[in-house]
Amino acid sequence: MDFKLGEREELLRKSTREFAESEITPRIEAMEKTGEFPMDLLKPMAKLGITGLIAPPEYEGLGLGYLARTIVLEELSRVCAAIPMGMQVHHMAIAALNDFGTEAQKKKYIPPLSRGETMGCVAVTEPSGGSDVLGMQSSAELKGDKYILNGRKCWITNSHTSDYWIVIARTGEGPKGLSAFIVDKDAPGAKPGREEHKFGLRGANTGELVMDNCEIPKDNLLGQEGGGLGVALKTVSESGRTGMAAVALGILQACYEEAAKYASERVLYGKPIAALQAISFYVAEIYTQLDICRLLCYRASWMKDQNMRFDTESAIAKSYTCEAAAQCAKKAIEIYGANGITLEYKVQRLLRDAMVTISAGGTGEIGKVVVGRAALAPFQKKG
Amino acid sequence: MGEPQIWVFIEQRRNVVHDVGLELLGKARELANTGGARVAALLLGDGVLPLADTLISFGADIVLVADHPALEPYRLLPYTQVLAEACRTRQPDIMLFGATSLGVELAPRLAARLKTGLSAHCIDLQLDADGHLLQMVPGWGGGVVATIKTPEHRPQMATVMPGVMQKPQPAPRSGQVIPLTPSEDLDLSGPRVLEVHREEPQELPLETAEVVVAGGFGVGSPEGWKLLEELARLLGGAVGATRPPVDEGWASEEQMIGQSGKTVRPRLYIGVGISGMSHHVVGMDEAEFVVAINTDPKAAIFEVADLAIVGDQREIIPLLLDELRGRVKVS
Amino acid sequence: MERVIVCVKPVPDPKVWDRLRMDPVTKTLIREGIPSVINPLDRHALEAALAIKDVSGAEVVLLSMAPRDARPVLREALAMGADRAVLLSDKAFAGSDTLATALILTEAIRRIGPFDLICCGNYTLDGSTAQVPSQIAEFLGIPNIMHVAHMELEQDKRMVVTQKIEQGYVKLAAEPPLLLSFTKKANKPRFLSFLEILAAEKREISTWTNTDLNLDESRIGLGGSPTKMADMLLREKGRQGLRLEGSPEEIAHQLANKIRQLGFI
Repeated sequence: MDFKLGEREELLRKSTREFAESEITPRIEAMEKTGEFPMDLLKPMAKLGITGLIAPPEYEGLGLGYLARTIVLEELSRVCAAIPMGMQVHHMAIAALNDFGTEAQKKKYIPPLSRGETMGCVAVTEPSGGSDVLGMQSSAELKGDKYILNGRKCWITNSHTSDYWIVIARTGEGPKGLSAFIVDKDAPGAKPGREEHKFGLRGANTGELVMDNCEIPKDNLLGQEGGGLGVALKTVSESGRTGMAAVALGILQACYEEAAKYASERVLYGKPIAALQAISFYVAEIYTQLDICRLLCYRASWMKDQNMRFDTESAIAKSYTCEAAAQCAKKAIEIYGANGITLEYKVQRLLRDAMVTISAGGTGEIGKVVVGRAALAPFQKKG
Repeated sequence: MGEPQIWVFIEQRRNVVHDVGLELLGKARELANTGGARVAALLLGDGVLPLADTLISFGADIVLVADHPALEPYRLLPYTQVLAEACRTRQPDIMLFGATSLGVELAPRLAARLKTGLSAHCIDLQLDADGHLLQMVPGWGGGVVATIKTPEHRPQMATVMPGVMQKPQPAPRSGQVIPLTPSEDLDLSGPRVLEVHREEPQELPLETAEVVVAGGFGVGSPEGWKLLEELARLLGGAVGATRPPVDEGWASEEQMIGQSGKTVRPRLYIGVGISGMSHHVVGMDEAEFVVAINTDPKAAIFEVADLAIVGDQREIIPLLLDELRGRVKVS
Repeated sequence: MERVIVCVKPVPDPKVWDRLRMDPVTKTLIREGIPSVINPLDRHALEAALAIKDVSGAEVVLLSMAPRDARPVLREALAMGADRAVLLSDKAFAGSDTLATALILTEAIRRIGPFDLICCGNYTLDGSTAQVPSQIAEFLGIPNIMHVAHMELEQDKRMVVTQKIEQGYVKLAAEPPLLLSFTKKANKPRFLSFLEILAAEKREISTWTNTDLNLDESRIGLGGSPTKMADMLLREKGRQGLRLEGSPEEIAHQLANKIRQLGFI
């Protein structure tokens, strides 16, 4: 097994890190205050290649794989997790279009997303539940050459900043009764609803989408009628989970750096506290979790790049990394002592950001449902 | 040509001699006295002849003057040409330049034209038993000094940062003033000066301050930096910096102390949040009394400190300011 | 403009400088485990060249005299947008002082071919002499300007160059061929776009040895260097090295006392 990353990955990492440190750091204070996504960063991110990272070159993307994407999202997140949160959902929209779209749809919708002219979002969750996908109530009815959509989606990342929404709605009964649609935000009857004020990932825009007799062209059906569950599952389990895991991984990296740095600087009893075994053990624990999660995230992404089936591995990576990030952020705050609970230090933001990742893009429990199924499958008794 | 000659390039702008030329005349005089050599000052410009007497009083036995309208302001190619010809005709043994922005551009070009050796940022110059120039330059990590020699090529050239050598006291002396007349037309090719803009220096010059409060990356923030500025003000001193504070924008490039910055020799140096890497230390380790504050007990700065404080400057400096304010004598 | 050559040097990453150690026996730097980066000022030189390429389509060629393990650093510089790189690597070059180094680089430049501009960083972080660019220009017989804080390209290849001097600046008018040494103030180096990172994988890094340059061995390496290292000594210290301990209040109190004792208050 070759665990070494190539020159390409190292350069992607280096470039993203420099960009994040230089261009994103100054924006954090405003994002924390207002919760708004800095839209003017879209252009420089597009110029770097972040917005169109996984889109195929024929749709003005870079055609890079998921390992590259994970590294880029991780480096962005190391500085500020809210930005790659928005970007990873944007990639999900691109992935859904690329996997299920017709040539005409791909040509129309992917290039503006690649170029960062607009953002994309994927809308599955409703007030009736996110984990309970089949319980959704949003409906879509074919009337002539239009679909009429009715319903509300909530907890949608990029709800208010996206021009294109990938919406799942009911066209029939049962699991084969869901369909996916491309909704332009300017479509009649479509509009964003309330905005959520989260305590973490502030700057990642989260809110509601409202469809009130929303009319979209018939041609905006994405994939087959009745194939919506497949669109949702593939998008969430592939680009969604690996994206969320990468965001949490970057937070974990920041936890490690903050903890190690502080432990090496803070002097008590005439020495840096890193000299105390207990503190060094905490740092060791964070470092170990970081190493574990990096291996999980990179492995899942690598498998996608090899065209292997990887939904169990992506579920493990997502649920484990988000939980680990929160635990390590808590530890890092404790290493900071009293300073850890002040807003002056960055480390409190890491805990708030990590907590929000735990239930975003699939709860930890759903992750375990997926993994449990796979773990038990070989032992199932027939009949 | 008889005795060996030690030449010093005298930088002047608008007929004001840069102190570094006088510092180097002092050093050249010292070297000449031990080795039995003569010291010559090289003066180029327009209407600079009146400066010659000053240079003699600072130690020059000879002043070689090239006085020509085309030599003001300084331009690299004509200056290189005049100096190269003077070197070829008179064959000096040693030639010294201040490592100013001008010197650092001119000296290497001249060395290449003469195909001789040049060492940069020397912190000391000596003569060995054979009369060769020993050029001491700071070496890499860990506080070493490398001794460079130019055994075969002449002149032996070296640049020295301003402030490293002591400016001598002028004394009544006699000397010769010899005009340099170039044998061919001046090379006036190359970039043309459109404008020369000089700003007034703002604060107390670092190089002559009695107290220097220097900050490094450990100062942590612009607010922390302001406290250092206050400490310097209280003590009647100047503020210096290592490279990271300059990069962060807390201090200006002119405040940087070190191998590629300024050399300071204050009576009191207080280093705050400075790790003490050799390329900074080389710019301050001639200070009389060194106090260092750093959270890392293994910081290299403690090797050159008289008073070593392992602690967090964020806590200590405000408390120190309080203590000192209570004690400032009202004058 | 048609061709701009940029001299690039890999140096130890300044972020890990305090890990650098000297081998007490050989008196050379222990470089193992220390990552190399593009000399920071060279990035500003490269950015200036790329800005010219953006408007004129000029070819940007990187030139570096370094060991073979410099390839990743050159790849990174190519990923900034340069077109190709020439790496000069030969045991015979080792030990060269600035004069010999300038000679080697000059010969390589002659073999690269005609150029309009040569861009260098004002000094390198490791050697710090700032001598090589002036010496290359001298050998090539072209003018050079150091301490460049700003460069503006006007029509007909004319340039207005702002040179930073102590407490001020000088504005100069110049034409190619010319060599410029850049400071940090000159520009903001661009980020490596992912597109360029991918494109750079196909760009050429040619490695040349002295067989390609055909320089007389007496003019390069240790033998070709007029300056020779005679000795390396540890600096004499002689400091009191007293430790002040206690709480921040106690420390501040004792330090204030000492300052008063020295007569500064």
